[in-house]
Amino acid sequence: MSTTPRQALGNLAGLGVLLAAWVVYAVYFSPTQGWTFFLQLTVNGIILGSIYALIALGYSLVYGILKLLNFAHGDVYMIGAFIGFGVLTLLGGPLSPAIPVALLVLCMFVVAMLGSGLLGLAIERFAYRPLRDAPRIAPLISALGVAFFLENSVLLLFGANYRNYDGYDLISFNGIHLGGSAGVFVSYLGLMVISGALLLMVALIALVRWTQFGKAMRAVSFDREAAAMMGIDPDRVIASTFFVGSALGGAAGVMFGLLYSQIYYLVGFLAGLKGFTAAVVGGIGSIPGAMLGGLLVGLIESWARGYLNGNDADLVVFGVLIGVMLIRPSGLLGTPALQKV
Amino acid sequence: MKNVLVAAVLAAALSILATAAWGSAKAPARAAASSAATATVKCGSVRTIGMAAPITGPAADIGNQQVRWAKYFVKRWNAVKAHAHSRIKLITGDTQLGVDTAFAVKVAKSFASNSKMLAVVGPAGSQEVVASTDSYKSGRLGFVSGSATRVSLTDGHTAGNRIGYFYRTVPNDGQQAPAVANWMTKKLKWKRVYIIDDQETYSQGLADGTQNILKSRGVTTQRDSISQTQSDYSSTIAKIPSNYQGIYIPWQLAPQAQAFGQQLAAAGKGHIKLFGSDGLFAPGVWKITGSYDSAFPFNAANPVVLAYVKAHHGNGEFFGLPSYVAAQVDTLAVTKACKAGHGKTTRAAVRKQIAKTKLTTSLLGFPVAFQHSGEMKAPAAFGIYQIQKNGAFKRID
Repeated sequence: MSTTPRQALGNLAGLGVLLAAWVVYAVYFSPTQGWTFFLQLTVNGIILGSIYALIALGYSLVYGILKLLNFAHGDVYMIGAFIGFGVLTLLGGPLSPAIPVALLVLCMFVVAMLGSGLLGLAIERFAYRPLRDAPRIAPLISALGVAFFLENSVLLLFGANYRNYDGYDLISFNGIHLGGSAGVFVSYLGLMVISGALLLMVALIALVRWTQFGKAMRAVSFDREAAAMMGIDPDRVIASTFFVGSALGGAAGVMFGLLYSQIYYLVGFLAGLKGFTAAVVGGIGSIPGAMLGGLLVGLIESWARGYLNGNDADLVVFGVLIGVMLIRPSGLLGTPALQKV
Repeated sequence: MKNVLVAAVLAAALSILATAAWGSAKAPARAAASSAATATVKCGSVRTIGMAAPITGPAADIGNQQVRWAKYFVKRWNAVKAHAHSRIKLITGDTQLGVDTAFAVKVAKSFASNSKMLAVVGPAGSQEVVASTDSYKSGRLGFVSGSATRVSLTDGHTAGNRIGYFYRTVPNDGQQAPAVANWMTKKLKWKRVYIIDDQETYSQGLADGTQNILKSRGVTTQRDSISQTQSDYSSTIAKIPSNYQGIYIPWQLAPQAQAFGQQLAAAGKGHIKLFGSDGLFAPGVWKITGSYDSAFPFNAANPVVLAYVKAHHGNGEFFGLPSYVAAQVDTLAVTKACKAGHGKTTRAAVRKQIAKTKLTTSLLGFPVAFQHSGEMKAPAAFGIYQIQKNGAFKRID
């Protein structure tokens, strides 16, 4: 499944038209009219979408290189959240941190990303590599098995109780008001999530576009055998890709914990599904697609929750997935198609 | 062609044989379940009761509180020397409330098939009670819940008739909604209340009941819902007008209420007070100072309660306390039935003893006896609590 650049532009134009129509309806014709409410929901959606984008990137990276849907990725994100919580607790907790808050948050991210990355390496090595030449269904089943294994391991080790990051106590309940006190509110935590996610996405793009490793990733993704013949070790590249994707998932887990406070052993299930939806909507295997898809899913969820009943948000999000699959099976951006010259 | 026909006939014959074999293999199991229902059980020195609770899944937090309180009762009972020949063994079954009521049915069937099982504590959720009633009834097992509060469970006709089988050691939602609405309108004098349910039948029932009463008293209300798997409440919070005085959240999961309260404050709407239900009675988990909560009362000064709190590092886990009383009801019923039967009893006899329960004192702070419907007799009622700065829930009504 692939999309030509022209098709991708066409998809984006179509999306732009739909979004414009939606904005007009929401602001001027919906029961809850007004720019402030719409913009508040949009800001909320961008924050949420940033987290989904990081999860979606993990799915897209792995799919791009192995054509494998890593259904355990949502649970790697969950474990990243738990690792971050562990670091937070070890270093004094949100109310009495033993080190400066900025340093504490940095430690949480670094350790969670490292831990999740190593977990990703282990999953690739033991659950997927032996099945690389097996029929496609085998690694898929293995992925599902790993997902359940991780969930139940966390349940066994840490119990079913929720853990609360108390992120607002750690960082701040404050934020900025755009347009006055009755305007759009963006918390400092939300700003941190958006900027952190942007930073990681830019770093990933730089890694893929401008480094030797990124070149090797693209080569293996394009043709594994040819890459091996060129002297690239595909096993090493694939393992490193898993590390990077899982590290992004771990970062997303910490952001989620800080922003939405509660984590438990099943928190990766729905987030993983939505991250997967985002990757598919954007075009599975495409890095820009994953980012766009994540943002879109976050926005759609936020708008649905705001303009419809709370029941309907997930219905709309997964309805969009079905719609995109029917109209554009390769997603909005997909992977670039070969053009005959 | 002939070979194909022969193969088809052989395959059909094999299928018929396999089905017959499977059916006859099942028959002993079905016979076992029905024989367990009516069998006379030799009591022995260890009697078995079951506990159906959400040990895993989204409601595992409250389910494990119930299990710990029930086990706490069993441990105290078994520690008494006089009970050396009437000890209790508690077998737990995981109903995974919030995932699928099929798990509750599975637990009910397994309890019913266990020939030694004499009574059950639970299940926790009203939807689980409805789903598993047939299984308990066909197994002739009495079941006493410490948390299923839907009013219609004891009316004798809605979604099944479970009179004589189902009892509860908590007041029902029909008492909770008026208690909440009364406090909001008469004491707090709220005129604008936002109501958010968590899409579970427990929550929707309470939200509906409270909203109806508030509307009838001229209070402006708006209604929304969240799901138990939701973590981001920012869009829901954006909908709440800043001039509303209170938000009623009759939810089952206290960590959600805590996260919601924090996000509400972060959005600049912390001045709007939260009002929860008995599912949120979780000191140490839900800590938003100034919030209100309705919960079944308990005797906080009781030494048994104090000992539990001390043993659990200051966390009383009071949502599970009625399950202690439920386990107590089952245990006393089993013991009396065994005594009356001179060392033998049946599930029917145990149910009769449950119906005749008369606890003159209980951890709930009032005597426990049951009406014919399965409800507790007066003075069972809900109390109103407020969260203090130190996180404690203080009774204020």
